Amino acid sequence: MLAFGCAGTHAAPTRQLADVQAANRTASELGAQNNPKAKLHLTLAEEQLSQAKQAMEDDDDETAERLLMRAQMDAELAIALTREADAMANEAKVLDAARVGQSASPELEATP
Amino acid sequence: MTLTHSSILSLALLSAVNACATTAPPADLVTARDAYERAQHGTAAKLNPAQLDTAHKALLSAERAFEEDGDTQRTRDLAYVAGRRAQIAEARANATRATQGQEQATENMHAATAAQLGRTNQQLALQRQAMQSERDARIAAEKRAADAAADLGKIGSIKQEPRGMVITLSGGVLFASGKSDLLGNAQAKLNTVADALTQQDPDSRMTVEGHTDSQGKAAYNQALSERRAQVVRDYLVARGIAADRVSAQGFGSSRSVADNTSSEGRANNRRVEIVVTPKADQAHTSTR
Repeated sequence: MLAFGCAGTHAAPTRQLADVQAANRTASELGAQNNPKAKLHLTLAEEQLSQAKQAMEDDDDETAERLLMRAQMDAELAIALTREADAMANEAKVLDAARVGQSASPELEATP
Repeated sequence: MTLTHSSILSLALLSAVNACATTAPPADLVTARDAYERAQHGTAAKLNPAQLDTAHKALLSAERAFEEDGDTQRTRDLAYVAGRRAQIAEARANATRATQGQEQATENMHAATAAQLGRTNQQLALQRQAMQSERDARIAAEKRAADAAADLGKIGSIKQEPRGMVITLSGGVLFASGKSDLLGNAQAKLNTVADALTQQDPDSRMTVEGHTDSQGKAAYNQALSERRAQVVRDYLVARGIAADRVSAQGFGSSRSVADNTSSEGRANNRRVEIVVTPKADQAHTSTR
């Protein structure tokens, strides 16, 4: 769980920033752009990352940290949603194959 | 999980009554409560309890922040995290369920394929066995037919003619002169004939034909040939040839096969012929 601190005493959240960048990259590589729900959260993560960078440039590390916390959650959700969609698609594919297999394997005619 | 769903609701109610009696919960907190509620009643409770618990704790933190501080930025941030954690728990649980479903379906498919293969192999083995039995039976039948033909050859002549297979038995072997009662040793010969005929195609039909030489009156010879044919026919039926497969017909001396002026020729003309007509030729052959 990310902690909140007091304004002015924060170190620059560079590690959190790197974590969000890595998570965004992972979401993109998994194909989050191809899933509407995942794409939405990836976009949110990228926007909040961008705002956090701006806050860091403005020496507002506290704001940067809370924006990065939100961004991290959205990036992880984008990843989870992409994997969920992939797993469901794979399951549907196998179920379809099983149905096709069942209808395409008629019994041999019984030997009299 | 240390806190239950009802404890969340209690906390939410407490928040509403106490610190935030005059402050509506932030949208992020409302969203987080809904997300957790959905995750808790979905697959996450069973398939992803650890992450659901993490989401639960995050929601409690947000509720406490709201209770203590009201609708602050910190409350909204904590609620935002709690909502996302609940959604993540739910999505991961759904992915796990789908993966398990895929594995189960794959396993079922393999099992079905193996079972189908087993059934196919079993059916093929049965078919092979049936074909082998059929082959064995055909070979045995052919051997019986050949043996029977060889036996027949010892007591009469066999010819293949357009009207079918013709087995010719000498009249002198079967009957006394002018009689239509079978001689004692004639029955043994007819037994051989009957055994041979039962080996023939069961769909074939037979006609027993009686023939005489030209000595005597034609009407007498005709009647004698008919009686003899009938006697032989009845004997064959008594020996197991189906009655509807075999008929009798007398021709008197009308169908001589040898010169009636010599004793040898007349002996050849006094005969019984059994004509075996295959099923395919029956439409073209008249039998009575």
